[in-house]
Amino acid sequence: MKKRLFLSLCLVACISAQAAAPIAKIQQMLAKPKVLCGRFDQSKQLNGLKKPLASNGRFCVVAGKGVLWRTLQPFPSTLRLTRDEIVNFQGDRVAMRLDAKQEPTVRMINSVLFAMLAGDLAQLDTLFEVDGDADASHWHVALKAREPALAKAIGAIALDGDSYVKNIAINDASGDRTTIVFSAIQAGDSAMLPEEAALF
Amino acid sequence: MNRKGIALAWALVVCLLLAHNAYLWLDKHIVPDTDILNLLPVQERDPLLQQSFTHMVDAAQQRVVVLIGAPDWADAKRAADAYGAVLAKQPNLLQAMPLTENTESDWLAEFQQHRLLLLSADQESKLQSQPPGFWVTSALAQLNSPFAGPKLGAWRDDPFDLFGGWVRERSQETPVRPRDGHLFVADANQQYVLLPLTLQVPAFSISAQQAVLPLLAQADAAARQLVPQVEIIKAGVILHAAAAGEQANREVSTIGIGSLIGIILLMWITFHSFKPIAMILLSIGIGCLGSFSVCWLLFGRIHLLTLVFGASLIGVAQDYGIYFLCNRLSADSKLDSVTLLKRLMPGLLLTLLTTVIGYMGLALTPFPGLRQMALFSAFGLVFAWLTVVCWFPLMIGGGGLASGALVRVYGAAPVHWPLLRMNKATFGAVMLFIVLAVIGCARLGANDDIRLLQNPPAHLVSDQIKLSKLLDSPTPVQFFLVRGSSAEMVLQREEQLKKRLDPLIAQHKLSGYQALSNWVPSMQTQEARRSLLEEKILKDGSALTQLAAQLGEDPAWATTTRARLLEAGQPLNLDTFLASKASEPWRYLWVGAIDDTYASIVALRGTSSASLPALQQAGTGLEGVQWVDKVGEISSVLGRYRQYMGWVVLCSYLVVFGLLYPRYRGNAWRVLAPAAVASIATLALLGLIGQDLQLFHVLALMLLLGVGVDYGIFMHEHPKRGDTTPWLAVGLSAANTILSFGLLGLSKTPALQAFGLTMLIGTALVWILVPCFGKEN
Repeated sequence: MKKRLFLSLCLVACISAQAAAPIAKIQQMLAKPKVLCGRFDQSKQLNGLKKPLASNGRFCVVAGKGVLWRTLQPFPSTLRLTRDEIVNFQGDRVAMRLDAKQEPTVRMINSVLFAMLAGDLAQLDTLFEVDGDADASHWHVALKAREPALAKAIGAIALDGDSYVKNIAINDASGDRTTIVFSAIQAGDSAMLPEEAALF
Repeated sequence: MNRKGIALAWALVVCLLLAHNAYLWLDKHIVPDTDILNLLPVQERDPLLQQSFTHMVDAAQQRVVVLIGAPDWADAKRAADAYGAVLAKQPNLLQAMPLTENTESDWLAEFQQHRLLLLSADQESKLQSQPPGFWVTSALAQLNSPFAGPKLGAWRDDPFDLFGGWVRERSQETPVRPRDGHLFVADANQQYVLLPLTLQVPAFSISAQQAVLPLLAQADAAARQLVPQVEIIKAGVILHAAAAGEQANREVSTIGIGSLIGIILLMWITFHSFKPIAMILLSIGIGCLGSFSVCWLLFGRIHLLTLVFGASLIGVAQDYGIYFLCNRLSADSKLDSVTLLKRLMPGLLLTLLTTVIGYMGLALTPFPGLRQMALFSAFGLVFAWLTVVCWFPLMIGGGGLASGALVRVYGAAPVHWPLLRMNKATFGAVMLFIVLAVIGCARLGANDDIRLLQNPPAHLVSDQIKLSKLLDSPTPVQFFLVRGSSAEMVLQREEQLKKRLDPLIAQHKLSGYQALSNWVPSMQTQEARRSLLEEKILKDGSALTQLAAQLGEDPAWATTTRARLLEAGQPLNLDTFLASKASEPWRYLWVGAIDDTYASIVALRGTSSASLPALQQAGTGLEGVQWVDKVGEISSVLGRYRQYMGWVVLCSYLVVFGLLYPRYRGNAWRVLAPAAVASIATLALLGLIGQDLQLFHVLALMLLLGVGVDYGIFMHEHPKRGDTTPWLAVGLSAANTILSFGLLGLSKTPALQAFGLTMLIGTALVWILVPCFGKEN
């Protein structure tokens, strides 16, 4: 189960992924800003539910610090991932906090996450088989976990984008499908709203 | 009876002893026991408690845990693979725990039928306190979150993440996680691969230790060669057993050989001949072989520490031979040896009796190891004594011995010794003695720590500390024992205990507990949960139907989902769980049943000595719950027997006085006084040098009584002042005793060291004091 958590967190890292193949070319295409924020639109189709679940909100990726995932619709909920902990805020209330002391995989998850943000493709390559292609302005990548148990748990992941990751699609083994679309991406210190900066 | 007949009969006995020893050593290939726990008293009062401790120990005994760490995970993995490859070459010694990619899903499958009733403590209390709406909101939040945490199956089987929460709670029982086909644990700096190994050979067998330790060293080297900065942390009972065995082996050879060399040297100086040496060695040898045979027949095993202690037996067993030979040396060469022996017999018999009584005092303790040592020593003395009495007169005749100049100088010394008389000097000396004794004894503290019995090398201790910090594993020596008339009652009582422990976790007095009821709630709890779930989640109009409406599903969807959830709501019972593969790491917590009483263990993680009183307090007043602190218990036993043995020593003085009185009458006190005064002085000295009194000091005082009375008897069998014979026998014997016990004082085991030091000081004092108590001519 921890592997699941681990992998779903790896996806966050992929939002700004600079990992793909042909690795060198995609890496060149990706911008590597210190701060990156934007809007996301997520749609989940769960096995056993007729209607897809739609949610949207804002996300921020700060190099060397972590990731902020703010769901605004249908109701607000914020997730913050830093080096040593994962915190879920429901409004001002901390609904869940998982720290590295309690859950050692937290640090591992985040170290991989940061390796990805830093463009450490070798690190990503140790966990995933990276398969993809790129043309002049656009790229596409499929990730498959190297470890069979992980692959079974997480299913297939596909990323595409240009200077940023634009779409993520996950098809997992149980038949659940998740797609995330990123838009209105801004880079630089000004991209972050004051209330977002306050959370870091 | 004919002298030759006696000698022949004894020869027959000796032949039997030799044959038995040859059979044991050469045919059966016996090895001495090195398990320190066998030296501890048996818990005869409470079979369930005893079994629970055996459970904890057995679970730990065959385990070897290795952590291989490096700052970089890839390095740690490489080093661990190299390490594992070396071990895999000898699967008959150590076996690695098989870890497959399916391990996790396999054990989850075992709970699928019961998952509805498995809730975390937090969820259970929220189910009680929160309205259905709370569960709808949290289910929706989780649905919308892109990384809501793990999913353990289809979403519809656990829409409120209840089973998920339980699995997360269970995973908190250990910080170890599977990662890339390895077990992983980390601290702030290092990433470790955990290699749990199972020993395939008995941990306390010396041959197993001799095979396993080099293999581990080889694996260390292989890992280090590949990753030079690798950190390797090892723990396991076998490592401690090997270290203890090695230390005892080293000491048995230093003490034994040192003692022998001392004896040979002294005898040569005294008798200028090898014959007496050979005779004394013969008597000691027969004593050792004989006591070994008898101990094996009585106990079916022998502990290495018994042999260490037995090595010091040499120091006492020689007394009889020395006494006879010294008398032979000074007696008229025309006097035949048989008549000489007859003349010496009363004294010889008294020395044996008093010393054996000293040793038998040890046999009164409840420690099986000490009983073994006592019998080993007592039989050794009897056999050595019989050898002297049966054989010596026939082996050496009159005029067979000569002595050197050194002996004459030494022998003349006691004439100049001060004698105790009714005068000012004696009065002053007595006053000074009393003052010093009072000051010294007042400074004596007491120490009954179990660590006196064993003193593991520092690197093993530091590895152990690091390991338990990293793995947060439960302590095997402090736990709760929970009893009940049925398994269900045991689980219910565990649940009550856990309610008392939870606040202590919040106060950081412990980091957690392991209990079977974490995995299998009592039926009572499972029933309560079912009605709680019915009310808040399942019933029409509660969380499930509200959620269906929010998700735009029709009531039929809620009905099917409800049916699916209820299907997985079969009660889980303990037997099913214990039979499943998932219970493997927790089975040791189930002690089982004795006479219709069932018992389980609640093991504690992350305790400290400061938190023990609070933990003990947590269990009080709960029916069927018992706090077990093996360390504290052993310390208290050591303490109780220190006091108890003190009284035994005092009583022995009375008994010995009773034995001496018929022969010495008004002078009996003179025989006993040197030992008594030396004992008090030794205690005072120990106090002055800041030693804490422990059981083993008191045990030594008991032996000192035996030795001291020997010297008193030697002197008073020859009351004429200027007779060098007894003084020579005392000197030879005391010098040898000091050599053997003095070397025991070099032992690294605090208990043996205390014993040795006491004997060293005490024997020296007796030697010096014994002429002072002589009668004026």
